[in-house]
Amino acid sequence: MLFQIDFKAGKPVYLQLVDQVRYAAASGVLRPGEPLPGIRPLAEELRINRNTIAKAYAELESQGVIETLPGKGCFLKANNSPFTKVVRDKLLEKEIDEAVVMAHHLRIGRDAFIETVNERLDHFERLAANDEQSSKTPRRTQ
Amino acid sequence: MKESQSAIEIRELTRRYGKLEAVHGLSLTVRAGCCYGFFGRNGAGKTTTIKCLLNLLRPQSGTVRVLGLDPQREEVAVKSRIAYVPDAVAFYPWMTVRDTLEYFASFRAHWNRDIENDLLKRFGLNPNQKAASMSKGQKTQLALITAVCPEPELLVLDEPTSGLDPIVRREFIETVIGAYQSSDPENRTVFVSTHLISEFEGLIDEFTVIEQGRNLLTMNADDARSRFKKISVRFATAPVNLAPVGALQVKQNGRSAEILANGNSERIITELKLQNPEDLRCESLSLEEIFVASKALTKSA
Repeated sequence: MLFQIDFKAGKPVYLQLVDQVRYAAASGVLRPGEPLPGIRPLAEELRINRNTIAKAYAELESQGVIETLPGKGCFLKANNSPFTKVVRDKLLEKEIDEAVVMAHHLRIGRDAFIETVNERLDHFERLAANDEQSSKTPRRTQ
Repeated sequence: MKESQSAIEIRELTRRYGKLEAVHGLSLTVRAGCCYGFFGRNGAGKTTTIKCLLNLLRPQSGTVRVLGLDPQREEVAVKSRIAYVPDAVAFYPWMTVRDTLEYFASFRAHWNRDIENDLLKRFGLNPNQKAASMSKGQKTQLALITAVCPEPELLVLDEPTSGLDPIVRREFIETVIGAYQSSDPENRTVFVSTHLISEFEGLIDEFTVIEQGRNLLTMNADDARSRFKKISVRFATAPVNLAPVGALQVKQNGRSAEILANGNSERIITELKLQNPEDLRCESLSLEEIFVASKALTKSA
């Protein structure tokens, strides 16, 4: 998978990595059991501190998104969150609040906002469906 | 334990050249295992500070500790555990790349041949080439190999990439991240002085901006990026006297304006919104922009 770091995003770099792995997992770019890039090659490629990547992977592990197999690296876990429903709702609420605040700044009304949310949900479902299909059909290399 | 010990500890360092005060009461602490940026304009006192770390200059007042040791009293102990790449590297012109590496290795208790071979290959250096015929970029690459192979606990880089082409610069940084920090990262500290800040942006955990020999700003890089923000705003009609309370800097151009915030972006945004802007965006400053903006910080302080 490919990562994109934006130093102007106002979000700590390790959290950007966390978000992108979670996004990749949600959209099927990264499937359960697939490996994440190694810390050193990723650090060299993105030219960021290896501590930053280690911190991101530790965070993903504590969130139950990935698991570390000693000597083998980090792998995406099957999708089962270790958090209780209440905690999950709370976590999601925080993210939604950010989007609500953003929508307010951009003067996007309630209906348009809900419409966008639905559109994005559809988008991810489509991605995941496509991905499942393409994984069933054998891949051709040219 | 080593974790708790700082790699570099500078307290109230002062160094004058005649009447000129190059460094004035500078204090900073570099944690072991971190990558520390030392930013400043030409003549800000960066190299003078670094020379005091290496005992190439003596402090006139204040104290300097490197890996817990006094570089003046325990020069050999300090130098055997650190490596230094200056901005202008020089080698004996009659020595080949191979000779130079052997020469440097002879001063070191430990020398990692695998890293040496890897980097020679990676940089495409010919072991039989004489230093006299090497380009500036190749000499810097050779200097980097001599600095990384002993696997020192502290790597001091003084303007390492200035004057190099973009490919050499990129390889340089990748080498510091990859080869240098590949094993035992908790005991691999980087102290890099530079004004090419954007290249090192992702590497820097913490930084100090030095200006006229004084510590202007010391911050964690992520904290700095979340504290310093640029708010771009556009109104339907050009506002008169746009001056949000607490703004670090306001640049207005007709209906549009750019406002720098220092930790109070929320308040400034709330204030701006009272004037019903057509458009309002907020983004973090990069470390380079923070460095440039830090001048305004002294004026506002």
